[in-house]
Amino acid sequence: MLSFALKRFASALLVMFAISVLVFLIFFATPGVDPAARIAGRNADPATLAQVRHSFGLDRPMPVRYLLMMRHLLIDRDLESFVNRGSRVIPQILQATPVTLSLVVGAALIWMVAGVVMGTAAATLRGRAADPLIMLVGVVGVSLPAYWLGEVVNLVTQKQLHSSVFSWVPPPGYVGIGRDPGQWALHMLFPWLTLALLYAGIYARLLRGEVVTALNEDYVRTARAKGLSERRILLRHALRCSLIPIVSLFGLDFGALVGGAALLTEVVFGLPGIGKLTYDALQNLDLPVIMGTVLYAAFFVVLANALVDILYARLDPRARHA
Amino acid sequence: MSRSTRRGALAAAAVALALTAAACSSAGGGSSTGPTASSSGSGTGSAAFQPQHKGGTLKLVAHAAAGSFDPQVNYTLQYWQLYQSLYDGLLAFKKVGGQESFTVVPDLATAMPKVTNGGKTYTFTLRKGVTFSNGKALTTDDVVASFERIFKVSSPTAGTFYNGIVGADVCLKKPAGCTLPKGVIGDAKTNTVTINLTAADPEFPYKLAVPHASILPKDSPAKDAGTKPLPSTGPYTAASYDPNRELKLVRNPHFKEWSRDADPQGYPDVIDYTFGQTVESEVTAVENGQADWMFDAPPADRLNEIGTKYASQAHVNPLTAFWYATLNVNSAPFNNKLARQAINWAVDRSAVVRLYGGTNLASPACTILPPGFPGHVDSCDYTKGGGTTWKAPDLAKAKALVKQSGTAGQQVGIVVQDDDVNKSIGQYLQSLLTQLGYKATLKPLSANIQFTYIQNTKNKVQLALTSWYQDYPAASDFLNVLFSCASFHPGSDSSINISGFCDKGVDAKMQAAIRTAQTDEQSANQQWGAIDQDVMAQSPVVPLINPKIIDFTSKRLGDYRFSKQFYMLVGQTWVK
Amino acid sequence: MTAAQPSSTAEARRSPGPWRTAAADLSRNRSALAAAVVLLIVVTASLCAPLYAAHIAHTDPFQSHVSGTTVVGGKTVPVLTPSSTGLGLGVTPIGPTWDPAHYFLGADNQGRDVMARLLYGGRTSLFIGFTAAVLTCLVGTAVGVVAGYAGGVVDSVISRVLDVVWAFPVYLLAICLSVVLLTNGLHLGPLTVDAGSLWLPVTIIAAIYVPYIARPLRGQVLVLRNKEFIHAAVGSGAPTPRILRREVLPNVLPTTIVFVPLMTALAMLTESALSFLSVGVQPPDASWGTIIEDGLGLLYTRPAVTIAPGLLIALTTAALNVLGDGVRDALDPGARLRGGV
Repeated sequence: MLSFALKRFASALLVMFAISVLVFLIFFATPGVDPAARIAGRNADPATLAQVRHSFGLDRPMPVRYLLMMRHLLIDRDLESFVNRGSRVIPQILQATPVTLSLVVGAALIWMVAGVVMGTAAATLRGRAADPLIMLVGVVGVSLPAYWLGEVVNLVTQKQLHSSVFSWVPPPGYVGIGRDPGQWALHMLFPWLTLALLYAGIYARLLRGEVVTALNEDYVRTARAKGLSERRILLRHALRCSLIPIVSLFGLDFGALVGGAALLTEVVFGLPGIGKLTYDALQNLDLPVIMGTVLYAAFFVVLANALVDILYARLDPRARHA
Repeated sequence: MSRSTRRGALAAAAVALALTAAACSSAGGGSSTGPTASSSGSGTGSAAFQPQHKGGTLKLVAHAAAGSFDPQVNYTLQYWQLYQSLYDGLLAFKKVGGQESFTVVPDLATAMPKVTNGGKTYTFTLRKGVTFSNGKALTTDDVVASFERIFKVSSPTAGTFYNGIVGADVCLKKPAGCTLPKGVIGDAKTNTVTINLTAADPEFPYKLAVPHASILPKDSPAKDAGTKPLPSTGPYTAASYDPNRELKLVRNPHFKEWSRDADPQGYPDVIDYTFGQTVESEVTAVENGQADWMFDAPPADRLNEIGTKYASQAHVNPLTAFWYATLNVNSAPFNNKLARQAINWAVDRSAVVRLYGGTNLASPACTILPPGFPGHVDSCDYTKGGGTTWKAPDLAKAKALVKQSGTAGQQVGIVVQDDDVNKSIGQYLQSLLTQLGYKATLKPLSANIQFTYIQNTKNKVQLALTSWYQDYPAASDFLNVLFSCASFHPGSDSSINISGFCDKGVDAKMQAAIRTAQTDEQSANQQWGAIDQDVMAQSPVVPLINPKIIDFTSKRLGDYRFSKQFYMLVGQTWVK
Repeated sequence: MTAAQPSSTAEARRSPGPWRTAAADLSRNRSALAAAVVLLIVVTASLCAPLYAAHIAHTDPFQSHVSGTTVVGGKTVPVLTPSSTGLGLGVTPIGPTWDPAHYFLGADNQGRDVMARLLYGGRTSLFIGFTAAVLTCLVGTAVGVVAGYAGGVVDSVISRVLDVVWAFPVYLLAICLSVVLLTNGLHLGPLTVDAGSLWLPVTIIAAIYVPYIARPLRGQVLVLRNKEFIHAAVGSGAPTPRILRREVLPNVLPTTIVFVPLMTALAMLTESALSFLSVGVQPPDASWGTIIEDGLGLLYTRPAVTIAPGLLIALTTAALNVLGDGVRDALDPGARLRGGV
């Protein structure tokens, strides 16, 4: 078990390394990534341009630049933004983390509860009109473009119905939970609902399938034979086993979202989280920040993958060799 | 100056728009376009301080911050506007509304400099009793160190504005340890500073009045200070700066007003500048009074409501700037003069005006020098029906010219920024060129890439949409910078003469005009007006519009003034 | 996700009728049929875009009409109306007229007919979604089969590469690639894709989703390789390409096919998100995503320009998902893309 975990860890490191090289190469292939020309202004004198370039270390060979960047990011932990010099990457990421966590944890609670309720309800109501109806809601949620939904929600709450139903909705933005918990929740409400709608359907559909399968399994039949109530069978037996794949999927989704995968939602609702930080850095071609956020995101994805794999390996030793 | 140094597509659009500042209150609407259309604004001339309005927090919002806060490094309007209440140079632009804001007045110097040695030596007497916000008194050493620092930090204009200082050539090559022993000489005993130039430069006073020539403490770091603001001499100082969240300006406790013209004391106690909201919610915040002013240009779908429901809070002012399309004179099809002229005949400036936000936000342009700018003369070679101002496009004539040039059917790539306004103008141009018979393609790039991409001659950009906003009010800042042979650097990535226009005759005339300006500004301006027409006759660019700026302010904000040089005078507004 | 279990397909492989059984299953699935009808309507309407533009709307939806006029209720009105009240700021395009001949859904900020653009945009969105999905499924299947069958070093290398792409957040990778490629175009050996070409988003989207297909298929092949009929084939000395073609591919093909509609839906959503961030389809081409992006500048005054293409995306992807579910139930109930959809 331990050696499996170590192997998993080593391959995770390898993946992170490859990603950092990839980001570096992609961005130095872009004309205009060179911050010197931007800092030096439009009518820059060539000597000035060369000096600015030198001050960023951009006149050094690529491998040296890469190693220096990684040293500043990981060892000295003082890597600075190209665009806002003096502004360090790691504190920026730390500052954005609570915003993303606020969004993701809240949304995850909503979509898990909604997903489990919808999935279970659909499975138990199989064959009745409610089942396809619930599943249709699920499909629609999965099929909506996230940013579009956010913009429409903003339009409705900020303009169309702002003077009537939604007059209590604050303008988009973020208020720290420490500063004012009530305002925090109020500002996060629609981002939560929007993000949750996109995911609830996935979980409901997956859970429905699992519960339906479970209800046909031997142990459920045994339980029925013992005369246990349907409700008890559903809650204690069928649902319990069905939740395992749900939890592993949740691990992967949650990892990705914490890493900034909710980029579009954060951008549309003006939430200064990891996704927005990444998006802004991409817009500015601010390579150090892009590097930091991409590695941060990859870390969570890799971590979630590893945890899920290890979990499976514990449950099923054969998976170690898969 | 170019405003393209801004970050982000949205912000870029904003800039473009934001630069269109506006002075005046609701009444004007800024529809006047003539050269005399000075923005009225609520005040020209320095008004007396009104103590009853002192205090409170002025809340500003912007979609994004503008990078380094170092006044010798930052080259964006967003912060140049703020620096007016923070940093001082030896000279300053007058802090008033209207045309007078182009006047240079003594700031840290007691009087305008004594100019001797055929215009090559400037002698300043330093004001006494000025103290930095860190408590240290201003000395001649600070002045000398600040000029050296321009080169040490590789200030964007080090090689273009300040390269005439004796010893600058060495400093440009080796910025570390730059000294200007013969260029900038301080004399603590007489409290004077002498600056020696290698050649006379009539624009030098302007160059001393922009933020890159700010005087900073002599112990300031010899590198870009970035997000750690430097001590200031003006009425405010930066208390904290986080480009992802907020910039906070507070009163400089050591400030005593020495000249209302150069650097008047401000009204608000605190200026809070927050970043990161969407532009839509900035508008909402100002409407609801949660913010007092937004930096970004309001999005197109909010303009109507701002112009009607909130008309009394909107201020529209024309800018001394122009948006233009560059035509690459060194590659097909625009190495053919007839093809270039065809585009100038064909472009419907009123369509571009609409795409920019309507006739009250921009005026059609037909010259390089904007109206109200030194040297501008109304003239238009490319308008249906003739006359001195643009009236309508002549598509028939354009098509005839394209046919005559034999360039129809050729490929034309159009490179624009990918924000809403630029992209929509780009789409219009693409559609128009297709109509003229070219195979036109559009390439929208993010603002940061586009700006470096189009001035890299290796990319062979055929047609680019771009804009130019003045650094200071001198005709050479448009014509000499954009169209001289010296600004065209083949094989370089900083060739600001994007059209690649280099005409020996025109170049000689520009040199002559620069020489004339040393003695006779007025006749020099006449020469510049003629040069403008000479350039346009060759049609290396298509002037599109002269933009205006909307300042959208909260209901409580008072004493709005618009400086043509640095836009809304932030510290001079009150919220109490 | 763990590998799908191919047990049912492996057993069914010798019988002649798995495809026919699946088709019969599908034809009994009413929601899948309804979804197919919806898709058919959307595809047909999109294909008819030139007819609509030329014969009904009489407009060129790729030509700016900034100073143009149109007819509403018998009166000639400008397509773009500058505000004339107050300070007179802003320009508003004509809204929905509900008259198919004159700006049925109104105009965008260039004065172009939104309805006609929606139909043309549908062609682009469907083309990108479908092409990218097919490309991903082909490449993903090939990669998964090779990795799973070859094993050893080949498998390790391929798996690590897939891990890298997998761990790179999808949208981030797509945006990174787009920013670079939109500036330069793509030059990979003999393969050249111009910066403005539709093949650019196709290639990017196809590339980022390859692990979604390759991983589950690799798992399937790993299981298959230990099956007796494969051992038998290897033992009889059959050449590897033939084993892959005759024995392995037929067994994984149902899974690949199941992924096509689901992948198309995912690719369409991704295309629209990239276009929304202006790194997808480039003007003058239109897709539903770019129309949404154009419309956002008019959201407060002309919300229809944004809402209509969003609804079409939702409708089309929902139909694809329902159809995909039906295909899965019929062919390979265990198949799962990441996300369990």
